[in-house]
Amino acid sequence: MKTKLLLLAAMFISTACANMDMDKVLATAGKVAKGPAPVSEAQEIAMGRGIASNLLGAAPLLDNKPVQKYVNQVGRWLTLNAERPDLPWHFSVLDDEDVNAFAAPGGYIFITKGLLARMKSEAELAGVLAHEISHVLKRHHVEAIRKSTRTSLITGLAKDSLQQSGVSPVLTNLIGVGTELYARGLDKHDEYEADRMGVVIAARAGYDPYGLPAVLQTLQGMNPTHSNLALMFKTHPSLSDRLDLLDRAMSGSLDRFETQPDLAHRFTTVIGQ
Amino acid sequence: MKWKAIIFLGLLSSLSLAGLTQAGWAQAGEIAYTVRPTELKAKPFSDAVILARLEQRTKVEVIGRRSSWRQVQVDGKTGWIKMLSLTFNHSDRKAGDTGLATLFNVASTGSTGSSVTTGVRGLSEKDLKHTKPNPKALEVMDAYGVNKSEAQQFSKVGELSSQSMKYIAEPASGGKK
Repeated sequence: MKTKLLLLAAMFISTACANMDMDKVLATAGKVAKGPAPVSEAQEIAMGRGIASNLLGAAPLLDNKPVQKYVNQVGRWLTLNAERPDLPWHFSVLDDEDVNAFAAPGGYIFITKGLLARMKSEAELAGVLAHEISHVLKRHHVEAIRKSTRTSLITGLAKDSLQQSGVSPVLTNLIGVGTELYARGLDKHDEYEADRMGVVIAARAGYDPYGLPAVLQTLQGMNPTHSNLALMFKTHPSLSDRLDLLDRAMSGSLDRFETQPDLAHRFTTVIGQ
Repeated sequence: MKWKAIIFLGLLSSLSLAGLTQAGWAQAGEIAYTVRPTELKAKPFSDAVILARLEQRTKVEVIGRRSSWRQVQVDGKTGWIKMLSLTFNHSDRKAGDTGLATLFNVASTGSTGSSVTTGVRGLSEKDLKHTKPNPKALEVMDAYGVNKSEAQQFSKVGELSSQSMKYIAEPASGGKK
């Protein structure tokens, strides 16, 4: 089975070689299996900015500069302990009672006031932000947009000149697809992967790595019919499955980080002021 | 201890994130159930003295957390349990618990006793499908950004130090439950 796949990949590459110059083939070899029109980082960022703008059209920013700065400090510190530290990372609190968090391509992360208010420490905030950061690191949304879009649109994006002033119709279209993705959610395996990566990024940044599962347990204890949980529950795998998988993933592997701080005091000082 | 926590939460909810409905607090982090046979330890360490051996689905009252451990009270004893050996899912209660009946009532009537968001804008599925760009808010968002050196300074103040660790591979399907 594996040999067949390798053979197929080799055939694909050699066919491609006939039509393209070698440099291009080498540059895209890693992405061959996913299609011929990769989305560049600049395009990813432009797409993410558009999606972020749309999210801000649905819910306003929390009007509290110290809280917004604090969430950015925690998030930006996390990104310095992961890949892609040079993306234009931004972390924002949305003034909305819903319990949810969102990642847009290129490094735009959002968390709702409703979720923030249910957290008890900086390690919990770090765990949730690190989960969202992981979606960006792995380009989960970009890939989901690619999969749910006609190939012609992606090819159109490749032809698009980003130097053009304003946002092109093709990009606008993809931004629309990306925004609607929040109502459908990602593949559950993307969510599990972001959970596994999130706890590691929190540990790397020096935090108690159990912040993310602690938040998931808090949500588990909420009334599941609560209207503010509806979208998050619809777009994510069950909390019990996520916690069960985190239990297996974390068991034994994070013991040496047990004594790292959760900075509950700093968190309540800023959030409770 | 518990009263202190409740007073603290009450204070927190009335402070700056004002106007929040704190419906989650009342239920969250209080009652949990063991998901497997579990040892109650005297301290949050795996080699600590065992105070009791709890059966699966034992009801406990959670009073705190230290990293991977939850401090709990059960049968008059206070001790520590690995946090991921607990579930806070109400449907994991033993049959006969009154809480379950309440939950079913809620499910059948659709009334949660908490306020329902009815704002014009919001993050519901429908709102997300009909939203429009907000470039002004985007500019405000940009202004809140933090650069690398600010982030490093922030980590120093919190005494956070970088560690190295590889990502965890996807667990094999099946395995322990």
